Amino acid sequence: MRILLCISNLWRNLFRRVQLEQQLDDEVRSYVDLLAEEKIRTGMSAQTAHREAVMELGGMEQVKEEVRGIRAGSQIEILMQDFRYGLRMLAKNPGFTAVAVLTLALGIGVNSTIFSVISTMVLRKPPVHDPDRLMMLFSRNAGAGGTGDDANRSPVSPPDFVDWRAQAASFTGIAAASSFENDSHVTLSGGSEPERVPSAQVSANYFEVLGVSPILGRGFLPGEDQVGRGQVVLLRADLWKRRFGADPGVLGRTVKVNGEVYTAIGVMPDSFRQLWMFPEQLWTPLAFAPAQLAPAARAQRSLSVFGRLKPGVSETQARSELETISQRIAASNPESNKDWGANVLTLQEYAIQESNAATALAFLMAAVGFVLLIACANLANLLLARNANRQREFAVRAALGAGRLRLARQLLSECLLLALLGGGMGLLFAAWGLHLLRAAFNWNEWSVMIAEQLSIDGNVLLFTFGVSAATAIIFGLAPAFQISRRDPNAGLKESSRSTTTGREHHRLQDLLVIAQLALSLILLVGAGIFAESFIEEMRARPGMNPHNLLTASISLAGTAYKDPSRQSAFFQSVLRQLAGLPEVQSAAVTSDLPYTFPGYAHIALEGRPVPKTEKQAQSAYFAVSPGYLAATGIPLHEGREFTLADNAGSVPVAIVNEAFAQKFFPNENPLGRHVRISHPESAESEAAAAKWSEIIGVAGNVDELVGQQAPRPQIFEPFLQRPDGSMSVIIRLRTEPGAFAASLRRAVLKVDKDQPVTNIRTMDRVLLDSAQGDDAMAGLMGAFAIIALMMAAVGIYGLIGYLVGRRTHELGVRMALGARRREVLTLVLRQSMGMVLAGVGIGFLVSLTMPRLVTASFQGFHAHSGWILAGTPLAVILVATASSYLPARKASNLDPMAALRHE
Amino acid sequence: MDRNQVELLQGTLDLLILKTLGLEPLHGLGIARRIEQVTRGTFQVKPGSLFPALHRMEEQGWLSSSWGVSENRRRAKYYQLTRAGRRQLETETERWGRISLAIARALEAT
Repeated sequence: MRILLCISNLWRNLFRRVQLEQQLDDEVRSYVDLLAEEKIRTGMSAQTAHREAVMELGGMEQVKEEVRGIRAGSQIEILMQDFRYGLRMLAKNPGFTAVAVLTLALGIGVNSTIFSVISTMVLRKPPVHDPDRLMMLFSRNAGAGGTGDDANRSPVSPPDFVDWRAQAASFTGIAAASSFENDSHVTLSGGSEPERVPSAQVSANYFEVLGVSPILGRGFLPGEDQVGRGQVVLLRADLWKRRFGADPGVLGRTVKVNGEVYTAIGVMPDSFRQLWMFPEQLWTPLAFAPAQLAPAARAQRSLSVFGRLKPGVSETQARSELETISQRIAASNPESNKDWGANVLTLQEYAIQESNAATALAFLMAAVGFVLLIACANLANLLLARNANRQREFAVRAALGAGRLRLARQLLSECLLLALLGGGMGLLFAAWGLHLLRAAFNWNEWSVMIAEQLSIDGNVLLFTFGVSAATAIIFGLAPAFQISRRDPNAGLKESSRSTTTGREHHRLQDLLVIAQLALSLILLVGAGIFAESFIEEMRARPGMNPHNLLTASISLAGTAYKDPSRQSAFFQSVLRQLAGLPEVQSAAVTSDLPYTFPGYAHIALEGRPVPKTEKQAQSAYFAVSPGYLAATGIPLHEGREFTLADNAGSVPVAIVNEAFAQKFFPNENPLGRHVRISHPESAESEAAAAKWSEIIGVAGNVDELVGQQAPRPQIFEPFLQRPDGSMSVIIRLRTEPGAFAASLRRAVLKVDKDQPVTNIRTMDRVLLDSAQGDDAMAGLMGAFAIIALMMAAVGIYGLIGYLVGRRTHELGVRMALGARRREVLTLVLRQSMGMVLAGVGIGFLVSLTMPRLVTASFQGFHAHSGWILAGTPLAVILVATASSYLPARKASNLDPMAALRHE
Repeated sequence: MDRNQVELLQGTLDLLILKTLGLEPLHGLGIARRIEQVTRGTFQVKPGSLFPALHRMEEQGWLSSSWGVSENRRRAKYYQLTRAGRRQLETETERWGRISLAIARALEAT
């Protein structure tokens, strides 16, 4: 009842104003009339009576104002007045408004952009039911210096998973997911063109545990994850729409996955993709063969395991229960599980740790924070300058009875308006910034998925609004207090023709400009360190010729290619097809491209003792076709390359790189020596281990990732001796490589019409992707630093311009008394140089810590920052001097007569 | 100012207005005159405090107002008690009774 009354009062007071005012006016007038009548009855003349009545009333307007003051919502009324007045003031000074709003919009825009990335990668909850109760379960390697995050997030072996599921009581369900035959993609064929689709094998209760239901059809049934029963497949909605035209009739239809026939039984929602860790578009049941559950298989850790906590069970309880179970398993299986414990993380914690982006995001957020501070300093200086020019206005208003609070409130609401305009425009900038960022997030599959999900969400809107309001309050309040402290009498008396302005009037402004310069110097040094390291990475000798090369991945799968000889036959046919094309200079296949992480192999040297497998020597391993070195431009220092004669039937041979030769054959000629190459994870390693391969060549070193510290040993084998279904094609072209993609696809389809080609990239691109976003990081930091420097330049330009404007009269007097233009110029410049040197000095001292900070924060980062620390301050001094030179020159060009008449 | 006149205590004006309007609807000047009359000129209600009080009490739902014609055929705004206003009059009267009793006792005690 009371609330209703309140609302109706508010409604009437705010929206029926005209009527209300009319009634109030009538009421007061009628009171005066009645009073006057009383007085006439006592014998006064009508005129005198009316005047007396008004005087007794105490002023009609004052009484009305008193009534307005008690009305519900009168505070809102005043606020609206303030805002209306504020809008008028902003509209009256379009130049000031434009600069202030634009500065703020830039500052807020970069912050919202980076915050969007944080929101996407860190804050957003996974799109599953009750995400905080969904845990990821890991094996934890407590031995072998297992302190790193990675050691705490090891996958789980099938026997361990089965034991956990049987024994753990903390979870309502435990489910596992695995990549398909150690490959996260499957080939989907039949119907339209074959394609590679990210997929997973999951236990039957997987979707139940995650709490995601199919939008069409059904999920997996219990028991469908048994060997021999699982020929069913689930599709994600986007794949279903893209490949099957969203046809509901797809249920019950057969599709070919890796060449085998599966029946489609359901469609999972699109929303499931919202977490970038779940790339799968297709699921098949996960079944364990007896060998996978044998005791020896406990060392084969490959499963991602999910568990949903029972109500009332905490994460800690679940972790300790799982730890107990793991210790029991370790006690009875010491050879595979010694020192292996368990770890439990929420899905979100896992995503944050796995993305490895926390440090980079912290740096970026700090950088944009600096940009915002600089923007705010500009805003504060603009406000201070403008308020100084409005001194008279405030003095008059104060003299007429406006309280200090009222004046401060007026200023604050003007700031709030500016901040809201700036924030709104900042959001537009952020939308544009995200557009650019999406294009920069391209170095691997994960980054592309993050890019797809970058958006301005509720968190970002809230953040932007909060930042805008905070800016207004903090940077609007300071000038407001300065105003309200002033004595109105002094303000009225202070002549605008003052010859000099008191030093203390702009000390705050000086400090703000000094802070701006210091901040932008620190930011520039930071950006410089990142940029320098990136340039160094890219300039490092690649050890090969990456230009005019096109690369692509081909994964043979399914029954047709079970036989290894069919695999090598396929790739040989493709190479023959390619060799026949006029654009192709040479072509080769390799198990891994340069500048991607290769597989590795255990190495034994003939005539030396073989250590236990655990501590055996390792080398990066490549299976390549004849002509690989020639095609990639990797130099062959000694010996010969592989030929077609080096095949399954001939003497095993190998080529090593220089790093290999130096490590294993220091001061010896490796040619003619024999090594044994065994693959730790391959089933036929026992058989292969028996063979000794002769080293027939030594090749140059090529890095495995951009920015690698030292070359690693590498060994090459002819792919005909060890065929594999997953290879990369690398083609040296006579023409522009990007244009060759379609011809490459056609050549492959000629050999097998069901075989997709994926990941087509130029080698230049592979190199850039190998930098893992270092280019994006350097680019972002650089962009922020340049924005910061520009803002600081505008800041110092504005302040010197303002000071010159205030001193016009003084400068005129000086010149009239004989000061020369040069002297005026140095007079003004000297004032700005003081600030510039102070700002640069402080900034320089702080940025001395930057190289160490960056090196400590990023693993394997080497900051060679000498010239940056020396050069950046010079650049800042140059820019700052140039920006203060313009107003200074204007001052020196003053006409003394005009200056004296100024104002 | 007349020596017999007293500054109105905070809250007393509300009670006086409620009491005055308890008898019959009145316009602003009528209320002021009636209060003067019944307190024998001890309280003189100024428009500067009368109008805000009337509007506040109307917003609180104790009074309602309507335009009427005065005894001299002038248009005037008449205020009258609502049901909530009558209840408020009772509570305020009771409260005032307690306050005056308490003050009287306190003065007697010394």
